Amino acid sequence: MTRPLADTLLALVGSVVDAPAYGLTVTELSLEIPLELTAAWHRGQVTILGSAPHSRWRAGFLPPVHPLRLSLTLIDEDGSGQ
Amino acid sequence: MVNEGAFPVEDFINAITTQLDRVQDALRLKAVNRPLTYALKDLQLELKVFVDLDAQGNVRFRPAGPNESGASTVNFGFTTITKPMIEENTVSMAATRSAPLTDLGLSPDEQQRLERMGVRNLAQLNNLRASTGMQAISRLTDVSLDRLRAAVDRGTPVVRGVTPAAPPPPRTWPTPPAPKPPVTQPPVMQPPTPRPPVPRPPTPRPPVFVPPSTRPPIMTPPIFMPPGRTPLPVMRLDPGTRQIAVMGTNLAEGAQWPEVKLNAQPLALAEAESDRLLVELPHDHQGGTLEISLPGGETLAYELALDDAPGLASSTHAEASTLLDDWAPLGDRS
Repeated sequence: MTRPLADTLLALVGSVVDAPAYGLTVTELSLEIPLELTAAWHRGQVTILGSAPHSRWRAGFLPPVHPLRLSLTLIDEDGSGQ
Repeated sequence: MVNEGAFPVEDFINAITTQLDRVQDALRLKAVNRPLTYALKDLQLELKVFVDLDAQGNVRFRPAGPNESGASTVNFGFTTITKPMIEENTVSMAATRSAPLTDLGLSPDEQQRLERMGVRNLAQLNNLRASTGMQAISRLTDVSLDRLRAAVDRGTPVVRGVTPAAPPPPRTWPTPPAPKPPVTQPPVMQPPTPRPPVPRPPTPRPPVFVPPSTRPPIMTPPIFMPPGRTPLPVMRLDPGTRQIAVMGTNLAEGAQWPEVKLNAQPLALAEAESDRLLVELPHDHQGGTLEISLPGGETLAYELALDDAPGLASSTHAEASTLLDDWAPLGDRS
């Protein structure tokens, strides 16, 4: 688990908003997903690492999962939300 | 005993916000080439951590590992706010521009006690002192009154000297390299020409004594005297000097900066730091009285004189040069 949390979140968001548009436009996105999170020192700073769980099953050797809820909204060019 | 792998709370939260900033910045960059723009609305995170508290009272988080039970659950919620909300709920940037507690001679334990009262620099300490008094601060923070007064005295603004600021070097643009001439024919070999004899190196001349300059480049700190008693220290400037530098310590106190006036006219500050001020001089100034009013109420004064301007500086300089010149006409020396 060496992936920064930002990369994981961008991959999750991109998989939805960048999907082939079958005549649909995503205006709002809400994700609720368990993540395996930890913190580590990187270049002298604390970095949060997060990735999808290894498995759906509980095991004594896998790290605990942390529920995360994320909301995105489509904004206009002037910065106002939908 | 602090567990290894634990991180301070503020570092932990900063790390989360850094990741969210990266997400927001990436979405913004994506919008350059795509017709749609998405923004992060809010994020909620349930973090399972072990909370540690060290001897100094610092809280640390350690994420739970595999097969670890008894971890605490900390719920984080992040949402977007507007700029006015940020300005309402955070300390102003001007208030942070003051001597920190570490520069006031306080021990780390005393600094931590003051930080619990919301005091992180000298400006905030003076602000609190104006509201409650030093005795109340001493009683609430359990820091001795003498230590607090010594810290305030240590943060008193001090001017160490005033110098004419050197003008910035002229900007020179790099010249492009000259294009190489096209080679059309191979070089023709010519017979070697005899070299001329190497001239002897010139004999070194004895060094010429150059008397040292009598004009001190740096003015010593003035002795503050009430007006009307002793003449002000004179500072000579070249006519092309447009900025002067005021060197010192603790020149800023929160949002208050020293006021600099020339002949009672306020001057603009080109650059302002807690230990250095760059003051803009008017283009048509002919010297005069320079006054520096410090935030603590103290006022320092200098007499600015231009070297070639009519007035005190030129007359005294001309008279002195005439007296020292042995070739000057006899009538000028009398």
